[in-house]
Amino acid sequence: MSNQLSKFFFVWLILIFSSILSIIPLSENLSFLKIPWVALSLLFFTIMTPSIIGLFSAFLIGLILDILQGGILGESSLALSFMTYVAYRFRLQIRVFPIWQMMFAVLILLLINEMMHLWIDGIIGKIVISQSKIISVLLGSLIWPLFMGLLESLQSKINSR
Amino acid sequence: MPFTEKNTIDRSNPNFSGLRIILIFIISLGMMYLDFQGNYINKLRSYLSLTVLPLQIAANTPKKLINNFKNRLSDRETILTENQQLKKENIQLRSKVQQTYKLESENKRLFELLKAKPDDEEKFIFADIISINQDNNKHQIIINKGSIDGIQLGAAIADSSGIIGHIFRDQLLASEVLLITDPEHGIPIEIARNGFRAIAIGTGSYDEIILNDLPNNSDIQINDVLITSGLGGRYPEGYPVAIVSDIEMIQGEPYLKIEARPIANLKNINEVLVIQNNKKDHQNE
Repeated sequence: MSNQLSKFFFVWLILIFSSILSIIPLSENLSFLKIPWVALSLLFFTIMTPSIIGLFSAFLIGLILDILQGGILGESSLALSFMTYVAYRFRLQIRVFPIWQMMFAVLILLLINEMMHLWIDGIIGKIVISQSKIISVLLGSLIWPLFMGLLESLQSKINSR
Repeated sequence: MPFTEKNTIDRSNPNFSGLRIILIFIISLGMMYLDFQGNYINKLRSYLSLTVLPLQIAANTPKKLINNFKNRLSDRETILTENQQLKKENIQLRSKVQQTYKLESENKRLFELLKAKPDDEEKFIFADIISINQDNNKHQIIINKGSIDGIQLGAAIADSSGIIGHIFRDQLLASEVLLITDPEHGIPIEIARNGFRAIAIGTGSYDEIILNDLPNNSDIQINDVLITSGLGGRYPEGYPVAIVSDIEMIQGEPYLKIEARPIANLKNINEVLVIQNNKKDHQNE
């Protein structure tokens, strides 16, 4: 039971930390470094350990992200939970992919997330497609192996305790 | 690590069921509608923002630490020269303030002669920046004074040189400020030289706002100063906003395309002033 609890804390620690990372102020030239950390960590947990996370976690962290970024309430939560749902459906395939294919799958999932944002922004009527956003999504899929390795090692440390 | 326990087998995890995604869709679409249409859930929003305030502070500590570190590193000499400069500036500003006293009393006397009421006095509240949103299409900052400190929705924000924006969401301990360069922001202005009125709209770039409702034959020149006109009741009258940097006349178009550069340095804002109209009634929706 305590093991389950520590896993739960680990998930939320990572999610909160990544949401902080995603609002750290960067100068305009560095804005392509705004990698969608929250989406990446959600993808990791959904694909690797779906038993300790659910759609409502994705919804909740999306809500927090919306408030942090000052967007319209419900935008990120919708996009993130949809992305999580798709990732869950295909998790068994993605898990056994070779690494470059996995990166490609992550890229597509991140693009789904970004697409939902674009749709909602378009409906509201303030659509701005910036180059830095696309670059940050590409960077996000490029660092996926590193990110996955880091989180796996952290998680195995927690599990072994 | 990946293949442990039940992870691989549970095909019908209720946490990921199709029912839940539909439920989430309905909830978030409903929330977006309410938030976008009529600010129905501002209360919910202000309480939720209270809970994420620590995160915002945490996200901005690295920047503050770096700034602190820089300050520590700057040597004695530069601090001394800076101090001297500031002293000089202070004396100059004080002498200017003396002149304004005289002008103010004179102004009051003249108003009395006319039997008109002078403008309401404004109240100033100093505030610090908690966090800056540097998205391309959202120019917002969060300041560390909220409705507990007496800040009202819609109050104007200025720094030492000019108008920055206004409060568009007040929370308990902090408030969110929409900058004048946000693409959704419009500020009623007038040209200081001749009193022509217009509306300046943000562009999404930190050093540009545009005016596109002045007709082709209007009297406007490069380097004209734009000040707030006080129309609309949100911004107080007479604060500097921007300087005209470019005027373009497009053949066949009825209006000029005018670009202006905000006087306040919006890229790095440090301390701000919240300008509140004392007489303004509290009936904000």
